[in-house]
Amino acid sequence: MATIIDLPRRAFDTTRSLAMAPVRPLIPAGMVDEWGRDEHVIRALSPLLRLRWNASVGGENRLPTRAGALLVTNDRRLSFSPLYVSWALAEATGRPVRFVGHPDIVPFGPAMRRLGAILRNPSEVRGALHHGELVVLAAAPTNHPRYAGTIDPALVGAAVMAGVGVFPVASMSSPIGRSTRVQVGAQVRLRTKRRGPLAEAELAELTQRHLQRMLDELGGVQTGMTAIDWLGEG
Amino acid sequence: MRGQRLLVSGMGGELGSLVASLLEAEPWVGALMGIDVDPPRRRLRRAEFHRIEPTDRDRIVDVVTTFDPHVLVHLAVWEPDARAGTGTARSFTDAAAAAFIGAAAECRSLESIVVRSGIELYGRSRHALTRPDESVAAQPTTEYGRMLARLEAAARQAGERIGVPVGLLRLAPVLGPHVPSPLGRLLRQPVVPYSLLADPPFSVVEDTDAARAFVAAARRRTAEPVNVVGPGAITGLQAIARGRRIPVPLFGPEWGLTRRMSHLVGAPIPDHVLEVLHRGRLADGSRARELLGITPTTSTPDVIDRLYAWESVVRVPAAVRGAA
Repeated sequence: MATIIDLPRRAFDTTRSLAMAPVRPLIPAGMVDEWGRDEHVIRALSPLLRLRWNASVGGENRLPTRAGALLVTNDRRLSFSPLYVSWALAEATGRPVRFVGHPDIVPFGPAMRRLGAILRNPSEVRGALHHGELVVLAAAPTNHPRYAGTIDPALVGAAVMAGVGVFPVASMSSPIGRSTRVQVGAQVRLRTKRRGPLAEAELAELTQRHLQRMLDELGGVQTGMTAIDWLGEG
Repeated sequence: MRGQRLLVSGMGGELGSLVASLLEAEPWVGALMGIDVDPPRRRLRRAEFHRIEPTDRDRIVDVVTTFDPHVLVHLAVWEPDARAGTGTARSFTDAAAAAFIGAAAECRSLESIVVRSGIELYGRSRHALTRPDESVAAQPTTEYGRMLARLEAAARQAGERIGVPVGLLRLAPVLGPHVPSPLGRLLRQPVVPYSLLADPPFSVVEDTDAARAFVAAARRRTAEPVNVVGPGAITGLQAIARGRRIPVPLFGPEWGLTRRMSHLVGAPIPDHVLEVLHRGRLADGSRARELLGITPTTSTPDVIDRLYAWESVVRVPAAVRGAA
């Protein structure tokens, strides 16, 4: 006759609890949001991000409080401007802010998704905007920090299709310093209402022009008196 | 609207039994009939049940055409490694789709078909959308996804031919106290593998929410695909941490060995569950409110918490006769 053998359950549970004790604090027991953004991870990384970027944010009151919006920012090569702009705006507005453009390859894609990245795909961007998300889109990267690159009309088209506003966001950071500026501009509106694909083409060009004007007004990241300015003061 | 005749295929499963018990309480339902290979898991008071194999098409056609339903709720879908292996699940699902949808199409009174589908059919290939909505084309990357895509195509085609609206309810992985689910079974193991490099987010839906969606779709005669997804999302590691299981980080070739070992201990990992752990599974379920009038109420983390709150099998020792 067969007999039932009871596994030493209590001993197993104790062993498991002891084995997990050192690593348990490192495992986030929460949840991610519906796009995979992990508030726990972002909060944990915030001191590090603050160490790199001492961001001052302006114009955030122009952003909608509930509706979605496409925030187009300039991008100096290797400046990671979408990352710090989204992080700084999320801190300033208290809303999750996503950014466009994570590579769909491990481990970079999943790691960036935890920080709020979404795919560089018009349908993906449209879906996020349609659901009232703030999405940061970088213009084409440039070598000069005060030049705004071209903006992909297909991605701006996602905002047009979702019926949300497009806002230029001038960003300025230094490769060596911490001081960082994020300035949100007024919503870009076309003078002539377009029914077809001209809307996104013209809106992308107009946003680039607005962004460039904002960068010109913002000045460089290092402002103030230089060491030899006193010579010119007479 | 009163006195409607409803046919529920797959009534014997947990979801089918739950849908049938909810339909019994609906005032607009006149007669309720169910067919499945297994008897219902709940006590049903009004429903008439026929135990028929999905491959016995002649008998299914005979019973269905005699009943002449107004609405067919097609739940006869076998998820691989839930109640049957992948091959059996595929052949049963295909056979049931051909028999039930074909038989319902012969019924003069038929006004609506509601089909159980899943978000697995969107696929998770490289650069696939993170949260596909209903407008995204099906690009299944797993066997279960392909099964669902075939089922949807068959239902759509039949609906177009006879001029009947077809509602396609694309469910997130369904978890519930008695739902046989390979994902739920895996997560309840004491030691659970997860993808160290990816650990992507996924959503699930509780069986009660899924059943409510089917009742709403049958009542509203939904004629479009609808994603039914619980709010929120969770990653594999977060789910394991919530269940206080031991996480086993894996990053590559050892997954093959892990799948075999997991199969041996009674929790097979089919390719669509492996895809959940590697690529995640999310979908945009915001149209459910508009198309069904309801949205799932239990969030994904809550469903996972309830998954771990279920009692394990409690063994009651046999009493010795005459001991008292």
